[in-house]
Amino acid sequence: MPRKSDGERFLPLSLPIFHMLLSLSEGERHGYALKRAIAQRTDGKLNLGSGALYGSINKMLEEGFIEESDERPDSHLDDERRRYYRITALGRKVAAAETARLRSLVKMAELQLGIPEMA
Amino acid sequence: MPRLYTLLLHLYPARFREEYQGSMERLFRDEYREVDGFWQRAVLWLRVLADLAMSIPEQIGRELWLDLKHSMRVYGKRPLMAVLAVAALGLAIGASTGVFSVLNALLLRSLPFSKPERLVQLVNPVVTAGSGRAAFVRWSRHNSYLEDAATFSTSDMNVAGGRDALRVKVTESSSNLFQMLGVSPTAGRGFAADEDVFGHNAVAVISYGLWQQMFAGDPSAIGKTLHVNGSPVTVIGVAPAGFDYPQKTGIWLPTLFDFERVPKRGAFLFETIGRLKSGVSFDTANEFLKAEARRVRPGEEVKLVSLQNQLAGAVRQASWVLAGMTILVLLMAFANVAQLLLSRTSERRQEMAVRAALGASRARLRQQLMTEASVLTSMGALLGLLVAYWVSRMASSVAPAQLGTQRYSVMDWRVLAFAAALALVMGVAVGALPRLIATKKIRFGLLVMHAALALCLISSSLVMGRTFLGLIHANLGFRPANVVTLNVSLQGSRYLAGSGEWSYYSEALSRLRLVPGVTSAGAVSYLPLAMNMYMAFPFKLDSGQELSQVVVNSATQGYFQAMGTAFLAGGDFGSEPGVVVNAAFAESTRLGNAIVGRRLIAPWTKTPYRIIGLVATVRNAGPAGGGMAQIYFPIQGEPPPALTLVARVEGPAEEYLARCRDAVKMADSSVPIYDVKTLEQRLSDVLARPRFYTTATLFLAMLAVLLAAAGIFGTAAQSIAQRRQEMGIRMAIGASYGSIRSMMVRESLFPVVCGAGLGIGLSILSGRFLEHLLENASASGWMSVQAAGLLLITALAAAWSATGRVLKIDPIEVIRAE
Repeated sequence: MPRKSDGERFLPLSLPIFHMLLSLSEGERHGYALKRAIAQRTDGKLNLGSGALYGSINKMLEEGFIEESDERPDSHLDDERRRYYRITALGRKVAAAETARLRSLVKMAELQLGIPEMA
Repeated sequence: MPRLYTLLLHLYPARFREEYQGSMERLFRDEYREVDGFWQRAVLWLRVLADLAMSIPEQIGRELWLDLKHSMRVYGKRPLMAVLAVAALGLAIGASTGVFSVLNALLLRSLPFSKPERLVQLVNPVVTAGSGRAAFVRWSRHNSYLEDAATFSTSDMNVAGGRDALRVKVTESSSNLFQMLGVSPTAGRGFAADEDVFGHNAVAVISYGLWQQMFAGDPSAIGKTLHVNGSPVTVIGVAPAGFDYPQKTGIWLPTLFDFERVPKRGAFLFETIGRLKSGVSFDTANEFLKAEARRVRPGEEVKLVSLQNQLAGAVRQASWVLAGMTILVLLMAFANVAQLLLSRTSERRQEMAVRAALGASRARLRQQLMTEASVLTSMGALLGLLVAYWVSRMASSVAPAQLGTQRYSVMDWRVLAFAAALALVMGVAVGALPRLIATKKIRFGLLVMHAALALCLISSSLVMGRTFLGLIHANLGFRPANVVTLNVSLQGSRYLAGSGEWSYYSEALSRLRLVPGVTSAGAVSYLPLAMNMYMAFPFKLDSGQELSQVVVNSATQGYFQAMGTAFLAGGDFGSEPGVVVNAAFAESTRLGNAIVGRRLIAPWTKTPYRIIGLVATVRNAGPAGGGMAQIYFPIQGEPPPALTLVARVEGPAEEYLARCRDAVKMADSSVPIYDVKTLEQRLSDVLARPRFYTTATLFLAMLAVLLAAAGIFGTAAQSIAQRRQEMGIRMAIGASYGSIRSMMVRESLFPVVCGAGLGIGLSILSGRFLEHLLENASASGWMSVQAAGLLLITALAAAWSATGRVLKIDPIEVIRAE
């Protein structure tokens, strides 16, 4: 069996975690912003509760996908107590690996079902 | 509203809550601000609750798993400590659960009767079965304290009807016995109200066991005819399984008021039991009974005994002793595990400090400690259940057989609940306690208490053990090894009609003597150890000297030789006509060996009996009983309806049981032969109860020694860990390893010595208590001193091995660390 790369070890990702990694790849965010961003990008279909949100954040912190950032963007605008998170190199690798996994899955399904590839 | 949310967040485990409580509250406030109107808020709340319901258990499981992994790592580094704690807990929980299951069966569990706490036995009541049916029924319905009363008499009888002739306990009773106890038959019916009347009473209810044995549980047994001592009765019902009151009865007959109906000989006891009138307390009923007796028969002692107490009896007292000891052991184990965890905690002070510095809160550390303690207690509880199973198996195999009515299962849900509750309480307490007992004084007190309790347990078990050894080595007046005993009964057989009994007995004896390997054989009416009732009468010596209570027995030639009972003077039956007396009899006449040749006058005849032999005194009731003055008449003169054949054999008696039985059976196969046992088996049956208590106390004492050793070891190891620096500096300024080690040993022995002083006092008290509770127990201060010696040696060994760690201290390293 070929040795799995760093990113592949963690696959498959849960949907909330995948979305959160995608969202954080755009920049640092605090919890509430993350939640809002995910709701927006999924047209409100994925509206995380606070327990699910921080549960996933906790897990990603432990796995090392994200880290707490020390500098606060717009710290003068924002409440200092809010905690900001940013994606790590490992987090990026994992998100890319998940994307590749999904792509090959979709390819296989298209072949199987005879759906023409999009141009 | 957000406050409610904060409250809900408290359900999260400590670490997650600390990390995210603020963020989550904030997020909730943001969301809450965005919605308005009742419905939107309701929807938000629903979503929040669903989210928390999913998330909280997930996080609890996650942190529990992390803590568990951490605990295993911690224990893995110190396996000895973990094994000690689990073993201490397991043994303590196991022993107490095991003892509890026995207590549960003996004391707490109800008898197989309805409302057993309202049932009483009447000692010496005014009206008995002897007063006649009409009088008894009138009294039982119209007295002021009983709702109803039943009366019965139990004796062994011969039963024929199935394939074999059997010897069965038969209870003759009034017709309402079953009704009053609230028991209804599993098959057929019970006695009708008028079935105890002459002419209607040829019916029987048989026990479930007998139904299986004689009829293989066939329902067609109902309607069959049995011959009880030769008298025909029709089976009308089968008692429920497990019901065999009184005394393991096999057959119940409603013939008590028609006592001549079933032929039998001997002495009979009529017993009366009753159910208290509703609203009448036990004490009030007792007063009523006494008042009634004062009116009718002033001066006689009457009383009520609760049936539950009556059936548990002496077992009950001894069981409380065991329960008390178990609680002591439990207390010790509790203190022990607390000590061990505490020593762990203080050794890990550094780790805890580091973790606290890294931001772990008190709540978080407490959670970790609780999890660690719970890992120990639940492992201890699991081990405990195994131990409990073993203890109660042991208990039920050797325990008091006289509770035939209470066939109990070893583990029932009450026992399991007890174990679970114990583990839970211990887990929480042990987890919470280390902080509580962290003060030095309390810990010192704990060690003193520990030592005192251990000493008390050890000396109690020494008392019990010595008492038991005394029983084993008691001179019984006969030699129990290499003896086979068999009972035969002629009741209801063709021999009873005429004078044929002796011809059967002599035939059986001569066949027994012909068995190869049998060196001597004889027969006796009342075999020692058989728990018979004895009959005693006043006798007069030819000199006119009166002897008030002399036990009467009868035997054949060869009986004394077979039993190994020595002749002190004179000779056996057969040489000349006459009787044999025992040494206790000779002592009471103050004649000694000169008693042989004198004459005796019995109350029933004017013709004197010549005394031809003097034998050693036999303890009839076994080693715990004393010897009584006794006369042996020759069996030939008036053969009893049943007797015991005794044969001394060459080699192990077990190998002769079947051969001897077959030989006797050849004399007449229709005569039932029962209780074919070696004399040693009978002795060990008698000793079963003291053996059980002795085994149990020895077990508990060993446990106590182990716990004490573990406690001392743990404490010594802990104080070395705490004082590493001090010792390193002492070494650096010239103290030797040896002097430091002996200082540490002295310090850890100090509380043990204090505890031993207290414990000697305690154990003298508990010895008094044991003497009071258990027959033949004798405690002495010397045993407390022995126990103290044992405890101190154990403590010394534990402290010495724990202080071995001193050798690992490198003074240079310690100072460098400063």
